[in-house]
Amino acid sequence: MTAVLEPTVVRTAAPRRRRRSVDRPIILAIAAVYFLVPLAAAVWFTIEDKRNGGVTGEYYAAIPAADGFAEALRRSLSLAVLTVLGVLLVTVPAMLAVTLRLPKLRPVVEGLSLLPLVIPPIALVAGVRDMLALGPNELAGTPLGDFLVSSQDPELPYILIIVYIVLATPFAYRSLDAGIRSIDAKTLVDAARGLGASWPTVVWRVLLPNLRSAVLGAAFLTLGLVLGEYTIASILLFETLPTWLVKISGSSGQLSVAVSTASLLFTWILLLVVSLADRRKSSGGTA
Amino acid sequence: MTTAATPVRARSFWGRARRCGPWLSVAPFLLIMLVGLILPTVALGFGAFGNGTSDVEAALGGGYRQALWGSLKLSVVCAVLGAVCGLLLARAVLAGGGLLRRLVLTASGVLANFGGVPLAFMFIATIGNAGIVTALIRDWTGFDLANSTFSLYQFGGLVLVYLYFLVPLMVIVIAPALDGVRAEWSEAAANLGATPGQYWRLVAGPLLAPPVMAGALLLFCGSLSAFATAQAMVGGTVPLVTLQIANALSGNVSADHEGVGAALALEMIVLVSIVMAVYWTIERRTARWLR
Amino acid sequence: MRQRNIVLHGLLAAAVVAGVAGCGSSEKAAEAQNNTAAAATATSAAELGGMDALIKAAQAEGQLNVITLPPDWANYGEIIETFSKKYNIKVNSDNPDGSSQDEINAVKSLKGQDRAPDVLDLGGAFAQSGAKEGLFANYKVATWADIPDSQKESNGAWYNDYGGYISIGCDAKKIAVCPTTFADLKKPEYKGKVALNGDPTKSGSAFAGVFAAALANGGSFTNIQPGIDYFAALKKSGNYIPVESTPATIEKGETPISIDWDYLNAGYTKKLAEKGIDWKVAVPSDGVYGNFYCQAINKTAPHPAAARLWEEFLYSDEGQNLWLKGYARPVRLPKMTESGKADSALVAQLPKVEAKAEFPTTDQIDGAKKVLTDGWTKALTG
Repeated sequence: MTAVLEPTVVRTAAPRRRRRSVDRPIILAIAAVYFLVPLAAAVWFTIEDKRNGGVTGEYYAAIPAADGFAEALRRSLSLAVLTVLGVLLVTVPAMLAVTLRLPKLRPVVEGLSLLPLVIPPIALVAGVRDMLALGPNELAGTPLGDFLVSSQDPELPYILIIVYIVLATPFAYRSLDAGIRSIDAKTLVDAARGLGASWPTVVWRVLLPNLRSAVLGAAFLTLGLVLGEYTIASILLFETLPTWLVKISGSSGQLSVAVSTASLLFTWILLLVVSLADRRKSSGGTA
Repeated sequence: MTTAATPVRARSFWGRARRCGPWLSVAPFLLIMLVGLILPTVALGFGAFGNGTSDVEAALGGGYRQALWGSLKLSVVCAVLGAVCGLLLARAVLAGGGLLRRLVLTASGVLANFGGVPLAFMFIATIGNAGIVTALIRDWTGFDLANSTFSLYQFGGLVLVYLYFLVPLMVIVIAPALDGVRAEWSEAAANLGATPGQYWRLVAGPLLAPPVMAGALLLFCGSLSAFATAQAMVGGTVPLVTLQIANALSGNVSADHEGVGAALALEMIVLVSIVMAVYWTIERRTARWLR
Repeated sequence: MRQRNIVLHGLLAAAVVAGVAGCGSSEKAAEAQNNTAAAATATSAAELGGMDALIKAAQAEGQLNVITLPPDWANYGEIIETFSKKYNIKVNSDNPDGSSQDEINAVKSLKGQDRAPDVLDLGGAFAQSGAKEGLFANYKVATWADIPDSQKESNGAWYNDYGGYISIGCDAKKIAVCPTTFADLKKPEYKGKVALNGDPTKSGSAFAGVFAAALANGGSFTNIQPGIDYFAALKKSGNYIPVESTPATIEKGETPISIDWDYLNAGYTKKLAEKGIDWKVAVPSDGVYGNFYCQAINKTAPHPAAARLWEEFLYSDEGQNLWLKGYARPVRLPKMTESGKADSALVAQLPKVEAKAEFPTTDQIDGAKKVLTDGWTKALTG
């Protein structure tokens, strides 16, 4: 078959390969300039030593030295890990169930998963605050009231975890949805069930391995969200890494920019470590 | 239908549990949404209608309507640009695989959540009136960006800055879909005599259209609700609903405007519901042939 | 109000039925109320048995929650530290970048919790609306008589603490001739260099900046429109850039001219000098606009004795002089200057104010805010 069609393949494949290799570097170059130059400008601002000329790392060194660093870091990391687990545990089963067994629920789930992105955090936290206010007042003494109150424990505020899970859901849903659609879940499931696999086996050993990149994407977005979220944590008066960073930067211009670039870098390295869980060496191959 | 397929098991506990399985899987999702989203939204609703309908009416008129329009314009432009650029970038990056893919996907996860004052400052430091690149361009070519018609502090500048977190978001969200478009398909299409144009129009295009549209919808919602960056860069000079909401709910100037803020937030939810309804009708039509 | 709670109740009950774990105990609410019940209703130190009794009660509480007090704002950093060391009371400073609205919201939503703010530093409009809602405790500090009647609520719900005037800060190394009036700012040499501290519909100091510009252009306390028109023209000519002026943008050189409260601008001078920036502060002679902030005690404060002691400290000579050190004008300054208790060196370093200063009433401010909120965006995008 190939022998008959070889001339056709040679003629069309070669030009396509040449064209592909031209636009790719251009796009990558533009993207590199757009994303890296502003970052470099900010970093340059933070390392300029205005007093003596030259460069200084003092603003970056001041961050771990400031009071409360370890505690804020620990709290944000715990929140982040718990939120990622929560997001995955909540969205993955729901989406699989909707795709495979309850397609009628899809609009509901999709709509609910998009709403958190639409409501500005300021408005959402206003509603959360009103809800929490019921705890010590009208609902004082009831288990629900106690739940609302204890969820605000400053050591590990799990009301924040709940809100963060809600905030992360739009991203997680989109990432997982793209993955589920692309692997044609129905066929895989039918094949596996036809071969006698039980549901847990189907999910754990057939579906999830194929959804690895989607799950990791959802995890990345969630981690990035929790480690960078400032508005809600600050209005609910909790001290997480982002609120602590704003607190220590005060009115020092260079320090406040240094903390944001350091936070970016730190989160990126963290995500790189997490991405080592994806041991796939080559890409699936895109056209 | 399910009972007919498994008549014996349906009577046992495990049979019933298995039938409830899908519902149990969806339950945690619905529960968290109830506590973290529905209830606060209901509380918002009470806030909006707390003074009767006066706040809601106020929120629909005059300056607020201008802000709604401004937000809509900004979000549509950002969604379209961001989706296209994100798709192109994702395609360029993911084709390589390996280290570049890993670096870009993780960086995208970080940047997709970046914004506010730090992001605004980055661009101010680069192409603001006293920016590094502005100075460089002035030194090299004599062209003064600061005195030209381009300004960072208007609509165009805002779009430029918004793309900084919208494009990475698109990249992460479209990556799994792109991974699913296999190289074998393009080779098979070529084997059957299709040109690259036909391949994209008839094979990969329709396959990617739904996730791309879904990504664009996500970007639309994301840029609609962003406000900290705009606040730091353009203040009240570009009319945006989210700025008005922030002023009403968390400002230093006007007390007792929370009702209007809540009403505006409800307006945004209604607006997005309309957009989502449109999106669903389009999606159902394009995805029909896939089933 | 009732209806809202019943419906919310119903929905929350549904959540319970769906299996929400009701774990956790509410140990926090109980203990605070007992031994500080007396302090919670005291309207003066005398009622509690004198300053010593107040100090003892406060130290027994051991903590104080303050909110939205940035350390570099009117020297609050040093004030907090001095208070904390002097009385051995731990001060928890939350949400330093928050707004007055955030403070009111925190009082309402954290009611009864140990984390609720004890004392508040608010804009005038918020103090008034909060008093109307009954959120504040009536308390008169020992030096109550020194505060002018027009600057306090007669029952002690709120009282002015410190204030300042709108000023024009200028980076003398980047600007050849620093502007000293609003008329100056229109000059073409300042193109792209003038900034406010945020959006006037959200930021108190930016709002004051627009009001000051109104005064400089034929407006009055009842007419802020000239100020809006002024900034619209300034934006059209390109002089005004809508970016929010922060220490970072000043250091970068993006906002070499910043309109802000004089105590904030003056506070930057020392810090910026270290970076080689010569930051000059001038109160514009054609538009003199000043305003005071207000103190209030949370009626349901978790640490009522500490809250009252904090107010006593702020209104003592020591506290007022600390505000002076932050370049702010404390409310007792006229009386303290008479009695010689004001630190004359600190008074001398305050930015000079040329014209006789008048302050707008809260009603005038409210009216102006309404005009501004309705017209600002339209004027600047038109």
